[in-house]
Amino acid sequence: MTDIPPNKAQRALHLHRELDKVWADLPGLRGFFTSVNHGTIGLRFMATAFVFFAIGGVLAMMIRAQLATRQGAFLSSELYNQIFTMHGSIMMFLFAIPLLEGLALWLLPKILGARDMAFPRLSALGYFCYLFGGTTIVLSLIFGVAPDGGWFMYVPLSDKTYTPGVNADVWLLGVTFVEISAMAAAVEITVTILRCRAAYMPLTKMPLMAWYLLGTAAMMLIGFPPLILGSILLELQRAFDWPFFDITRGGDPLLWQHLFWLFGHPEVYIIFLPAAGALSTIIPVLSRTKILGYGAIVAAILGLVFLSFGLWVHHMFTVGIPHMALAFFSAASALVAVPTAVQVFAWIGTMYEGRVQFRLPMLYIIGFFATFVLGGLTGVMLAMVPFNWQAHDTAFVTAHLHYVLVGGFVFPMLAAVTWWMPMISGRWRVAGLGESAFWLIFIGFHGTFFIMHLTGLLGMPRRIDAYPDNPEWEILNLVSSIFGMIQAAGFALFAFDMVMQWLFGRRSWRNPWRAPTLDWAMPLPAPSYNFASLPGPVHDNATAILPLAKGEGLLPGAPRGHRETLVVEPASGKPDHIAVLASNTALPVLTSLAIGSFFGLMLAGLYWLTPIGIVATLVMAWRWGTIMGVDYDPPWIEVAPLLTLPTHFSVTNTLAYTGCVALLVADGTVFASLLFGLGFLNVVAPNWPAPETGWATGMMGLMALAAFLVILAATFAGRKAATSRDPRVWTRVGFVCAVLGLILMAGLATGLDDPRRHAGDALRAVMLGYVAVHAIVVAMLALRSDRDARTGRVGPHRRGAIPAWQLFQRFLLFTATISLTVVVTQEVL
Amino acid sequence: MRRGPRKTSARIWICGWGLVFSMTLLTLLLGSALWVGERMIAQGDNVIRVQAHASRYNWQFTQPAPDGRLVTTDNILFVPAGQPFEVAIHSDDVIHSFWVPRLGGKMDAIPGHVNLHRLQADQPGQYAGQSAEFSGPGYRDMRFTLVAYDPADPPKALTDAPLPKALP
Amino acid sequence: MGWLLRSLAGPVLWAVLFSAVYALHGIGCAGGWQNRPFFWTDLQHAVLAGLWLTGIIAHLILVRYLPSGDGIKQFLIIAGTVIGLVSSAITLFPVVIISSCLSL
Repeated sequence: MTDIPPNKAQRALHLHRELDKVWADLPGLRGFFTSVNHGTIGLRFMATAFVFFAIGGVLAMMIRAQLATRQGAFLSSELYNQIFTMHGSIMMFLFAIPLLEGLALWLLPKILGARDMAFPRLSALGYFCYLFGGTTIVLSLIFGVAPDGGWFMYVPLSDKTYTPGVNADVWLLGVTFVEISAMAAAVEITVTILRCRAAYMPLTKMPLMAWYLLGTAAMMLIGFPPLILGSILLELQRAFDWPFFDITRGGDPLLWQHLFWLFGHPEVYIIFLPAAGALSTIIPVLSRTKILGYGAIVAAILGLVFLSFGLWVHHMFTVGIPHMALAFFSAASALVAVPTAVQVFAWIGTMYEGRVQFRLPMLYIIGFFATFVLGGLTGVMLAMVPFNWQAHDTAFVTAHLHYVLVGGFVFPMLAAVTWWMPMISGRWRVAGLGESAFWLIFIGFHGTFFIMHLTGLLGMPRRIDAYPDNPEWEILNLVSSIFGMIQAAGFALFAFDMVMQWLFGRRSWRNPWRAPTLDWAMPLPAPSYNFASLPGPVHDNATAILPLAKGEGLLPGAPRGHRETLVVEPASGKPDHIAVLASNTALPVLTSLAIGSFFGLMLAGLYWLTPIGIVATLVMAWRWGTIMGVDYDPPWIEVAPLLTLPTHFSVTNTLAYTGCVALLVADGTVFASLLFGLGFLNVVAPNWPAPETGWATGMMGLMALAAFLVILAATFAGRKAATSRDPRVWTRVGFVCAVLGLILMAGLATGLDDPRRHAGDALRAVMLGYVAVHAIVVAMLALRSDRDARTGRVGPHRRGAIPAWQLFQRFLLFTATISLTVVVTQEVL
Repeated sequence: MRRGPRKTSARIWICGWGLVFSMTLLTLLLGSALWVGERMIAQGDNVIRVQAHASRYNWQFTQPAPDGRLVTTDNILFVPAGQPFEVAIHSDDVIHSFWVPRLGGKMDAIPGHVNLHRLQADQPGQYAGQSAEFSGPGYRDMRFTLVAYDPADPPKALTDAPLPKALP
Repeated sequence: MGWLLRSLAGPVLWAVLFSAVYALHGIGCAGGWQNRPFFWTDLQHAVLAGLWLTGIIAHLILVRYLPSGDGIKQFLIIAGTVIGLVSSAITLFPVVIISSCLSL
């Protein structure tokens, strides 16, 4: 039954007041630190990203000023190296990724018909990690200790020998801190798309934007872990001399390149997919037609998500890899152009079929086509090994990547900003300014970077700060620099246009673009709660704006004084239960400060103080759990006449559970990357196998076996607890077993060889560390379940933290089995 | 701007242009690139072998003189014109990249690995070379010259060279 | 959810096959398989080509038997299995024609 009768209409203003009281941020500065609302956090993400974009842009202008003449007397080599490294790092990690996260957080609930993201507190936590981490990275520039090894931080240049200062640590720790926000966003986006849609909106009919973001989030879950692992390993090498990348002790600098580009290439598509989502949303509306080939585009996304993981080695074509391996990656790099071509032709076909209106977002879309297609073509050129060999690491590559990233991300995002700005500000733009900004940016961009292809073909390498002996490059560079300044002026004008719109634009009427999607089914600017009543099968598009505002949709108002939104089954969109979401709280900012204290102490080199940061983080994580759960059975809620649903307290298949699964997918990828590293070093690195060890193998095997058995017992306890009416015994058994396991692993650790001796020993220590970290998490979850069971939070339907504990416990069993086997067999072999 | 909307077929745009057109083009391109690449492979057969040792910020080359003695030079590499030679590239500090733009592509010098790179200079003359992998503050000065000499007229630097230093 | 998993099967098989062939290639080169003759070719090419062909057959089975349902769900399953097949065919065909362990 997909027919849900409408609720009785109420007074819209009354509903608005009732909802706004529940959903609004606190006033003033307190609001800044306590808001968890996706609208606020999403906008904040985007605004912060644009601030970092401006900083990165200023650095770009300094680079262009330096290269304008061949003597380049403007900056010293050392400073220039910091500036180009920071330009790349800021644009990638502090602008592009956070901007798309911000767009997703802000837009998704609106376009899917929900009131908020699945995990509001996680949004806020991600934001503060991003803000604090990003600020640290930028501040390092002011103190003259910014990273200076290039944005991909190749070892050995970035190891302790060749970068003795704190520069590389700033990058490794800062970027990893910021990546917490990326992982948080990836988990949230996945869960929100799968489970927080309008009632009976099947996956097969959701807006393309949601498909694109689902692809993005899936890629982030798999793509970021290799970088995070690589950063951890490199920081371990820098801080404690564990030789993962040191050739003399069994490491290999190529391992870093593999881990980095395993992240780095998918990253390009992670950035491109949301931008393509914006294009697929805007193009049909401004062409006054429907998108051509919905199914083909979804299939293209599917193809891109997978294929983009098969190209990473094309960044390493010159490191001396056998031709057959090169051929695999060359072929994959060519093949990945096919799904992109399918999308591009679907968009062109849509425009051909409809009647294109050349309004401001459409100008940026034309800019996208002109730029991105060129970038794609040079990309195919670079995918061909013989050409790549010549152009690799020259200005040609710089030009290519700017065509792809500015064409494939910045132009569509500017289109998206101008498109959704009326919903953000509630105002319509001032005529003329936006068009001037577009033309300045467009002309400036092509003037800068088209020329740069030629500079590269004339042999100018990237990253040099002067070229006194090559007068033939000078005029081209000068032209690039002049157009670069024009481009900068264009971006400044764009920002000015936004401010003008906010201050002086006239009030926008509802749905100004006449778009069909649900994001426009709300008054402008978007209210804090999005929908006064939620869309469903009857009200499934933007025309339902009035009935929804009058409460005729599902779950009208906030009569219980809670933030409530609908949770559905993933595929069909059948209503499942009501999630009661967190309200304003300072917990996220405090947690990010606790995590930040760990990173700060690491950065300061005060390693013996870092346990303080870890304990602080654990304490905050515990606090996080204490406010979840209730000790009574909440009544079911009437969503619509004849449709009554339980709250999430009374079901097991909650949003949190789906979120744990998504998190474990990412976590499993970290583990897989670790195994890849082990295999890679074993096969490729010289100076293997590791030197003989003096430790008693039998003793070690016995301890590993004991640890495994204890974890197995804990898993059994978890299973019992999940089904038992009174799980108090089992939760306690689980907790004790987890602690025992930790003690045994500590014993095992004392028996390991010094990790500084050989990369094999270091990897073994990391494997054991990985299991130990998860054992700590599991111990905390078991303790949490135990508390829940003892404080009445567990009943026949309320399971407290037990399902999450059971999930992590099984994951621990799986990874511990592999890790302990590896640790022991490495000893034997 | 055009009159009203027109009918078009998703099949033409998506299957025709998106799939058939792009895949045909890419297959041709890929096939030819692989063929060219296969011909460029260093076979390790008996061609002249020279050593290139990169360190911050200097290139040290070891090349055979016509009489077979090994001669070591800094930032200048002598090879006979008109015949293929192989460069064995290595490094023991950070990553560098050997590149003589007019002769061919790049090959990285990576600590712990020796990469072979086959090149040929058809005409005698001087060819500019440089490192193409960022290596720190002195990176831009990491240049060298490749001299292709007429085999009948080897340069004095090779014939008159003192006995070589130990091989790196 | 079933149809979504079915449409993912093809690309997942590609990912597994691609990783397996790449890993085996590295192991083979480290073990000197390219120098061991095997009928008219060498052990390295024989092993890799064998793995590749097995994978292609598995792909064909998916293409033949996975599609079910109707409308866009069926379309996505067909698209997924075909994407997997084409990806494996094109990205891994070098195992039969390219020399194995020599660098450029």
